[in-house]
Amino acid sequence: MLIILKTKVMHVHERNPKRTLITILLFALVIVFGWITMKKPRFNYALTPQQTVDMVINHRGCFHPYELEKVLNHKGGDVILIDIRNNFDFAKGHIPGALNITSVNLLNEENIKQLDEWKKNNVKVVFYHDDQLQANGAWMLFRQIGYSNTYVLLGGYRYFASYKDNLKQSEGTCLKGTAKYDFATVAKKSVAGFGDVSTSKPAKKVKVRRKKKEKAASGGC
Amino acid sequence: MNRNYLFLTLLMLVLAIGTFFIKKDDVYKNQIKPETLLQVITQPSRYVTTDQVAKRIIEKDPTLELIDVRLPGDFDKFTLPDAINVPLKDIFTDKGQDNLGIEDLNVVFFSNDDIIADQAWVIATRLGYKNMYVMKGGLNCWIETIINPTMPPETASEIEFEQFRFRKAASLYFTGGSTTQPVSVTKAKVKVRRKKKEKAASGGC
Repeated sequence: MLIILKTKVMHVHERNPKRTLITILLFALVIVFGWITMKKPRFNYALTPQQTVDMVINHRGCFHPYELEKVLNHKGGDVILIDIRNNFDFAKGHIPGALNITSVNLLNEENIKQLDEWKKNNVKVVFYHDDQLQANGAWMLFRQIGYSNTYVLLGGYRYFASYKDNLKQSEGTCLKGTAKYDFATVAKKSVAGFGDVSTSKPAKKVKVRRKKKEKAASGGC
Repeated sequence: MNRNYLFLTLLMLVLAIGTFFIKKDDVYKNQIKPETLLQVITQPSRYVTTDQVAKRIIEKDPTLELIDVRLPGDFDKFTLPDAINVPLKDIFTDKGQDNLGIEDLNVVFFSNDDIIADQAWVIATRLGYKNMYVMKGGLNCWIETIINPTMPPETASEIEFEQFRFRKAASLYFTGGSTTQPVSVTKAKVKVRRKKKEKAASGGC
């Protein structure tokens, strides 16, 4: 198409030099128009997958329950709590002052507008659900599309509800990701327990498994 | 040479060179859109229970691929049978991705509890991989429910007792199976086959 235009210009030029200028302008116009109407995605990833990995490994973006105390006493600076559960659960109980945006609606136009504003004003946005796990996905998504002011509440609402009177002292019970047991020893212990009689036990094992069969059968029908 | 021609040529050249600087949005080809990612993230269907995982291990389900996202040190000490170790930090490397997206395999991520596994799931899902699950509660829950199950109260429903019986059996299977006594291992295998048959039958009705 460009070639056609150019050849056309050449012919025209021979008769009227001014037309060259007009063609240049038209040319520029078409390009500007194309640029403006170019389909741009609503959201782009601001973090590469590797950056996301680094973020979660370094535990960036965690909001500890003890930090809530300040927020609840209005001393925490600019912090907005967002309850991403559905409105039914929200109505049953929520952290005082929290806003309710159900997770599926987080990317809606008006919510994004609001989030952009908070981001511009350096407001910390803390997502929470019943527990950390359920808010983890939404939080990771927002971090990945560039909302570096978003945080996830450790322990979630369930933790808050049961420890709201001493959020500071009980820290630690809400931290996830750690092993509660020494898996190898626990597993070994069990082995030792059965191991003493293991030579004579195979028959018993068979029985137990038969029971399992029953379960499968009853499930099927 | 006419100056007007020169202008046109220069303009074209500038524009042509300009196209080199247009930013490429998708460096990672199969990456899904953030909107889609939010949709799948809000579905709880990615969570599987320890019971479901135990059942599939015992049945020797060939479509099950367990991925342990803990550190290699922890992995060496204890892990689930036939699990592969892909620490969270390596999930995006070529080596880590080799284990994902294998046709007909269902990946189940697990860690100490479920947070790190879920994070691995989110990253892998963004990269466009499918058929992935997270073992809810992780190994902590595995120990509590499968290895050391607690007896339900007497008032519990029959279903809960059935579940307890299954867990008790599974506990024997996993702890007994790892005693490395060849006799018990082969016996375990025989039992497993019986179960498979029954399952097929029950599926029929």
